[in-house]
Amino acid sequence: MLDAIGVRSAEELFRHIPNELRFSAPPLPRGLSEYEVLQLLRRRAGENTPLSRWNSFLGAGCYDHYVPAALSSLVSLPQFVTAYTPYQPECSQGILQAIFEYQSFICLLTGKEVTNASLLDGATALGEAVRMALRLNRRGWVLLADSVHPEYKRTLRTYLSAQECICEEVPRAAAGTLDISAWRRALSREVSCCVVQAPNFFGLIEDAEEIHRLCRTTDTLLIVVANPLSLALFQPSGDLICGDIQPFGCGVNFGGPGGGYLAASRRMIRQLPGRIVGRTVDAGGNDAFCLTLQTREQHIRREKATSNICSNHSLQAIAAAVYLSLQGSRGLTHTARQCVRNTQYLYRKMKGLSGVTLPYGPGVFHEFVWQVARPAAVLEALRRKGILGGYPTGKEFPGLDGGILSCCTEKKTKQDIDAYVSALEEILHGGQVRV
Amino acid sequence: MVDRFVFDRYSGSEAPTYVPDSGVPDVSLTDIFPRKLLRETLPLPDPGERETVRHFSALAANNFSVDGNFYPLGSCTMKHNPRLHEQAAALEGLRDLHPYQPEDSVQGALGLLYELERCLCAITGMDYFSLIPSSGAHGEFTGMMMIRKYHEQRGVKKTHVLVPDSAHGTNPASAAMCGYATVVVPSNSGGCVDARAFSRALNEQTAAVMLTNPNTLGIFEEEISELKRMAHEKGALLYYDGANFNALAGIGAPRAMGFDVMHLNLHKTFSTPHGCGGPGAGVVGVTERLRAYLPVPRIERRDGRYSWSQGSPETIGTIRSFYGNFLVCVRAYAYVLRLGGAGLRRMSEHAVLNANYVQRMLKEVLDVPYDRACMHEAVFSCASLAGRGVRAYDVAKRLIDYGIHPPTMYFPLIVKEALMVEPTETESKETLDRFIEAVRAICREAREEPDRLLRAPLSRPGGRVDEARAARALEVKWNPAAGR
Amino acid sequence: MVRYSKTHEWARIEGNTAVIGISDHAQKELGDVVYVELPSVGDAVETESQYGTVESTKAASELFSPLSGKVIAVNEELAENPQWVNEDPLQKGWMIKIELTDPQSAENLMDEEAYREFLQQQS
Repeated sequence: MLDAIGVRSAEELFRHIPNELRFSAPPLPRGLSEYEVLQLLRRRAGENTPLSRWNSFLGAGCYDHYVPAALSSLVSLPQFVTAYTPYQPECSQGILQAIFEYQSFICLLTGKEVTNASLLDGATALGEAVRMALRLNRRGWVLLADSVHPEYKRTLRTYLSAQECICEEVPRAAAGTLDISAWRRALSREVSCCVVQAPNFFGLIEDAEEIHRLCRTTDTLLIVVANPLSLALFQPSGDLICGDIQPFGCGVNFGGPGGGYLAASRRMIRQLPGRIVGRTVDAGGNDAFCLTLQTREQHIRREKATSNICSNHSLQAIAAAVYLSLQGSRGLTHTARQCVRNTQYLYRKMKGLSGVTLPYGPGVFHEFVWQVARPAAVLEALRRKGILGGYPTGKEFPGLDGGILSCCTEKKTKQDIDAYVSALEEILHGGQVRV
Repeated sequence: MVDRFVFDRYSGSEAPTYVPDSGVPDVSLTDIFPRKLLRETLPLPDPGERETVRHFSALAANNFSVDGNFYPLGSCTMKHNPRLHEQAAALEGLRDLHPYQPEDSVQGALGLLYELERCLCAITGMDYFSLIPSSGAHGEFTGMMMIRKYHEQRGVKKTHVLVPDSAHGTNPASAAMCGYATVVVPSNSGGCVDARAFSRALNEQTAAVMLTNPNTLGIFEEEISELKRMAHEKGALLYYDGANFNALAGIGAPRAMGFDVMHLNLHKTFSTPHGCGGPGAGVVGVTERLRAYLPVPRIERRDGRYSWSQGSPETIGTIRSFYGNFLVCVRAYAYVLRLGGAGLRRMSEHAVLNANYVQRMLKEVLDVPYDRACMHEAVFSCASLAGRGVRAYDVAKRLIDYGIHPPTMYFPLIVKEALMVEPTETESKETLDRFIEAVRAICREAREEPDRLLRAPLSRPGGRVDEARAARALEVKWNPAAGR
Repeated sequence: MVRYSKTHEWARIEGNTAVIGISDHAQKELGDVVYVELPSVGDAVETESQYGTVESTKAASELFSPLSGKVIAVNEELAENPQWVNEDPLQKGWMIKIELTDPQSAENLMDEEAYREFLQQQS
């Protein structure tokens, strides 16, 4: 090869790079064998305590659902793992169909007409949804429910910080849900979109349709951040619906990757960011798929594109499609119902504990907030008993002093929950934490 | 498509039982929730496990992939993905971690991220990296927001960003998301940024210059130090788009070239797989003067213990949920450890050698618009075939018949009928020769039998997919009413 | 009377109105047209400034008005049949009809003969 090119060494091909721009010595130590790398990573893994070794009640945007064995196997298929974006439809029909089916699943769950091939995560999906709303009606005001996930709210503020727009938070009612009169006061024809989360950050089911009706009076768009698993039981609502597909077989992964989804009405499709798979035919008249409406995207529209997004989370989208297919309507309903049952059971048990306050009602999907004096000490004491009690909400929500957000997925059993409650009882009343 | 949709499959078997009945008392949903908030029907199919496995296995088999095919897709770095990465990412102690677990229980994960950051700093010369950005474009957005904040804090009004005419589309799109206009700088006859035009376009309102080096023509910007001097003189920062870093890993550092901010695509250079388009990671590196603006959270190390910190008050803030694509970072870390400094260097040398070999061997049949040694990718023009009515598109489609994934087409925009070939370092001479022979045969065919080419791929029973129809009669979800 | 602009738009002048579209050459360059974005009736358009967008699968091109005036009709049927721009760019593929601000300004455009020469020079 060197002869064909006419150089003596590969190094010669770098001669034109000035010396001062090149390393004189390798920037890192020598490489390791595969065995050594694996040993090193196993050691790192050993310094962590995975969820399987805890009795965990952590949720707050990342949920510990069971991942079926068949899913792990299908999503590891190298033809999915090592392929690129299906820009060449003639050699990517399988990927395109899988993503088309993912899009169809998301549309069935959300009741929407269009969605894309995935975004990076739920928080950036919200950022994209709001930017999309601002383009659709060219207004400059965003109303944001304070009961949206704090990381989503902060991400949204970063996404909007270079835009000419005002983002105003609307406080929740005393019950923790949307305060319809506060929204009525805040709404005007200047408002581009309202952003709510349903179920909200505290797990409470929301009547988003009530806000939707209000929005229609000012031609404001309603954006609903929805845990897609909750849509197995609850009515979807909103002009744009977005969130994270993490509950659909992605695993917890220390927070990533999950994947973002964003669904909308058909008339909005030209403002939708990201790749979209469309159905068509080939020259032989057979059904076929390809990426479509690419003129919205950065590689064609450049500075006028709907978004800069290029790489997305396709493999997670395929995982979600596989998950929904494995579960089916029966499995998904059963999973969501077991989440509700388990959470109701924990809620009732907590209600009976003195020293524990439940600020909001039981109308929750699979997580709820409870309050206690000295939450950090309580969580620490639980941890010593092998229990991850939940996510402390205190810092993010000053009104919720001592709040802990606890989640029960379908994986929790009566024994797990009973163990949690008795440990808590012992901590609160056995003098381990003074309340 | 495979014979049917997943929605048309039905197993008839029982509902799946992946977890046991939890044993808690049942509840009635209508006792807890207003009926109007409850869903009446859930219109999903019930294919069951056997049908699901058959369906998605059939879909997987119906694609090209790096495992099955040579995939010389320019700008995408489709190299072999070591299986070690998958095994590492599957370790329970790395995969099964909740982002809100106590820091004490995730010291290994935090340590891994911390070490990966140090490695990336060593490779690029940057002082800090944020591993949170989850794609190249997300990294560009993050980096440009930091540049924006930097100028704001200094009270300087900046309005635009300079981008070469050969740039990736994400560059102007990211600049626009950060509120900047884009000013396009032409390339000179050597395929590099035209320094005189650059100097004219540059002024006190220039916030940044976004460059990829080597550029998208696969050519190293030799005047980079001069461009940097001019840009810094006007108070503009230099942004390095790391999409083409496969040419330089272990060889040169973007910091030495004068870049202030950069991103690396871990799914490209660091071979975490592409997964049909993602997830990847677009980690962002900066020099000391931009430290305060890094997105949060940051990892801190104190007395051998790692913890999350909320960064400085000047941070651009949160850019997504949690800490980024952790499992992608795990794979990249495995890659860096495996190769080490010398291995990275050998890797880039081979990538550049392979690209030059392909360029040299195809010179006789295709135009090389910028005829000089290339770096990790070679750009050809199919304009000479136009007389026969054959376009780059047709050449690309014909390659599918040879079991080769088409190269990137019609990019960079400044080359007519462009084909952009990035063979990567992991391909053998035998594979490259097979590719070279295929392209030569196609060029012969273009002269002798151009009509055949226009119908390619011929090995695919249905031929070409009608992309125009997809856009005209939009159908983006399964339509049960149509019965198909 | 059909006149052409250097940006490959045509204008058919009828008294003080003009029907506007893109030339046969332009549609060939674009390839399969899949979408046309047009202004609304009542909007003002100006010579050499953008009044809409035409998209193929791989490109989005701006539409520049050859003349100034007020939009009095829009080819709504292109929404359902964008392929008409390819099949019949001068008739069924028309885009907008405007009331001219200055009917005399059409004199500045090329006639068919001049446009053909212009195309030859360009290639």
